[in-house]
Amino acid sequence: MSQVHALSDDQVGQELRKMTAFIKQEAEEKAREIQIKADEEFAIEKSKLVRQETDAIDSAYAKKFKQAQMSQQITRSTMANKTRLRVLGARQELLDEIFEAASAKLGEATHDQGRYKDLIKGLILEGFYAMNEPELVIRARQADYDAVREAAGWASAEYKHKTDKDVKATIDAENPVPEGSAGGIIIVGGNGKIDIDNTFEARLTLLKDSALPAMRKALFGENPNRKFFD
Amino acid sequence: MSAQKSAGIQLLLDAEREATKIVQKAREYRTKRVREARDEAKKEIEAYKAQKEAEFKKFEAEHTQGNQAAQEEANREAEERIREIKEAGNKNREQVIKDLLHAVFTPTPEAMAAH
Repeated sequence: MSQVHALSDDQVGQELRKMTAFIKQEAEEKAREIQIKADEEFAIEKSKLVRQETDAIDSAYAKKFKQAQMSQQITRSTMANKTRLRVLGARQELLDEIFEAASAKLGEATHDQGRYKDLIKGLILEGFYAMNEPELVIRARQADYDAVREAAGWASAEYKHKTDKDVKATIDAENPVPEGSAGGIIIVGGNGKIDIDNTFEARLTLLKDSALPAMRKALFGENPNRKFFD
Repeated sequence: MSAQKSAGIQLLLDAEREATKIVQKAREYRTKRVREARDEAKKEIEAYKAQKEAEFKKFEAEHTQGNQAAQEEANREAEERIREIKEAGNKNREQVIKDLLHAVFTPTPEAMAAH
């Protein structure tokens, strides 16, 4: 068996120094690895956390901005609507006032009895032509009965002249037009079932619809936004 | 010989102990870095959030102000147009009333087509 030669003291010392140096070096290398890894992980973890959270913040604020914008649009639109309504309201007030004023003046027609009778004749004739019946009933204001009788006679004559048909129109004294009316007549036909209201009030009321476009134009001018002119 | 041996072993043991300490320090550094990552991230995130909030507040303030201005403008416009309407009304109402009354007092009896 070969003998392990004992090392000299120097050699032992040398070996020991080599070994301790090795141990230390190994440790330092390991420590360095750990440090480098730690720094890498630090950077990755930090940027991951920051990115995650800032993305969430971004999307939350994007929503907030969008909502704020929408609410602002709603406010603006509501404002525009209110303005429009105010202006339209003012227009309507004016129109209503004009109709009120006209209504108050309806009594003017009776000032000239001659012209009034002629007018009544025309109203009766309108009824004759519309009804196209041989026998009709007229309702009028009690104060107008005489005038109406005369006018009805003229109307029947003209009717016969124009259509070659006879028409008998009688006044219904039991159902006069109410006292408050400013004038005009009502023609009743169809066995009492159909009536044409030609009192001044009724005619003015019809005008409230039919005259509106012309009135608006006369007062306010053309509507620049209008697109359809059927 | 024995004394030398133990001295040698002692040196090695000391070296090991030092080595452990060195590695241990590195591990503590690592732990510290993990914590630092979270802390620094948190700070940056809060700063970002504060900035976004400031931007948003500025936006809101601008638009509140804008709304107010628009409201005043809308009021002014409405009043102007109402004034115009009243003027037009005053100018033309007599004629319109006359026209309405004329329509009421002008019957248009028209014979219908022969039946």
